[in-house]
Amino acid sequence: MEFPNHHRQIVEDLMAGKFVLPQERTYQVLRDNEQSYSYFFKASFNYELRLTQDYAYVVSEESAEMLSRDICIFIALLSYELDRDGKNFLERIQFSEFEMEEIENYFTNSSYIDLILSNKQLKDTDSRKNFINTLNRRNIIEKTGDNRFVFTSAHKFFMDFASDIVKYENAEKDE
Amino acid sequence: MKAEPKTILRFLVEHYDVIAELFETQKNDGIIAYEVLNSIIAKHEHDIKSQLIEYKILSPVNDNYEIRTVYYNLIEFILSEFKPMLPETIEKYHTSVAELFRKIRENINGDKVTLSQRLNDIAIEIRSFYEMVERNTQSLLTETRELKANVKKIDYREKIVRASRWIDEYIIPLNKILDINHSSSMANKLYEISEFSNKYRLNFDDEGARVQFEKLYFQLIQVNDNLLRQSKILTNELLPLIERIRTESIILTGWITFMKNPYKRKVPKLLKRKEVSVYSNDTFFNAAEIFEQFKNETDVYFEEEEHESEKWIFDKDHYTKKLKDNLPVENFFSWCNKTLKEDYKKVEIEKFFALTTLAFDEDIEREYGAKPQFDKIRINDLTLTVPKVTINQHTLIDPKDGIS
Repeated sequence: MEFPNHHRQIVEDLMAGKFVLPQERTYQVLRDNEQSYSYFFKASFNYELRLTQDYAYVVSEESAEMLSRDICIFIALLSYELDRDGKNFLERIQFSEFEMEEIENYFTNSSYIDLILSNKQLKDTDSRKNFINTLNRRNIIEKTGDNRFVFTSAHKFFMDFASDIVKYENAEKDE
Repeated sequence: MKAEPKTILRFLVEHYDVIAELFETQKNDGIIAYEVLNSIIAKHEHDIKSQLIEYKILSPVNDNYEIRTVYYNLIEFILSEFKPMLPETIEKYHTSVAELFRKIRENINGDKVTLSQRLNDIAIEIRSFYEMVERNTQSLLTETRELKANVKKIDYREKIVRASRWIDEYIIPLNKILDINHSSSMANKLYEISEFSNKYRLNFDDEGARVQFEKLYFQLIQVNDNLLRQSKILTNELLPLIERIRTESIILTGWITFMKNPYKRKVPKLLKRKEVSVYSNDTFFNAAEIFEQFKNETDVYFEEEEHESEKWIFDKDHYTKKLKDNLPVENFFSWCNKTLKEDYKKVEIEKFFALTTLAFDEDIEREYGAKPQFDKIRINDLTLTVPKVTINQHTLIDPKDGIS
């Protein structure tokens, strides 16, 4: 039985809960073999492969809900604080590099401080540093130095979620 | 009007602050209420109400007032504060221009005076149309930039509503009007007129009309260029900017809604990594399986190991005495073997080596002969090749015998 190139890397990355990004060589392989990989993950693990122009990932019925929620809170807070600071938050998240010091400033001076303190992964500097490493492992950010990082195109996964909240609520109102 | 034009213009200059405030009121409220007019005039401490009406700057509407259109447009132009106009308003020029053009084309050989008047009118209509488009684009751009900077601190939901309304009601229809590729667009109609003018500016029997066609033709070249620029502003700058405001506002509204109750809302699914952990669903059963092995255990007894023989300790004194008693010993190693055989049934190699250590005693005199000789001694399965050593004397003081 023959598998496409980088098959092992693809399976390892996706099974580790990583987002596979368009600039990675594995992404193109996934794109070229989307149907067979969808079948492969479904038949082997009952996972669903999702491929968009910005990222690829797999999901199962069993979800890392806590992590997903913490990531949503993190990006929500950052977006809110950037906007409050007069920045174009979408452009900044999409194109700019962040320093941990800047993140620390936003989080320590946020009006959502109660929410931050009640969250185990975001409550203090050390927790936030670990959290950034978790995001790095999942390919949601890319570390560009010890204290610097950029968001990858996987951040759009969470931005789409935020848009859907509004669309869903509007649809509910219309009904 | 009795007043001199210069008097009116001077009046406008002197009382510009009052007039600007009245303009602002009308811009916001659509009308100037009687009480508002009085309070503005009182605030500036100049009773100019009668002049405002006499110079026809204000006209009464029921009990209220409004600035006459000609002055309103002038101030609006000076302040560059235009409100975006609905494309329907701009679209009316399409009808008037198209109608004038039809009449010019159909009556090209008719009355020259009427033709001249129509050419004049169409030029005015085209200029008005262009000015309105330009004002609209600029005002939309200003409003959009203000919305982006959120100067008025409006709610994100309101931002989405405004951005969506501007896109759907202003920008897209305006873009249609300016789309040269659209057969029924105003831009397309202007292009048609331009072609027509180009033909007649070169070939028409009436010189006055030729000049007018030429003027119209160059005006249209200019207008087309400007419209193209406006269209570019709309598609390249305004539309992306306003789209971004809408997207940003939607996302931010989503996040703010999410953060109102972050632990109760469903979140997107992320794959749970499979990790080998001691804490798993099967831990209980795995542990039970291990403990079940010890359920029916039987008693196990450990017996102490019996030593077959006691550990042999070399009694140096005993063997030194025995050696001295046997002096002279001609072959030391054979003597060792013989002595041990006498004492024990079986000679172990350890005992033999222990006994041979006597040969290294400093108090012993050893003789090796002129030429080295070797013997072979067999101890159990081992054959040792040993030198022939003779011992004649031992100088050690015997604790019992004294000096030997």
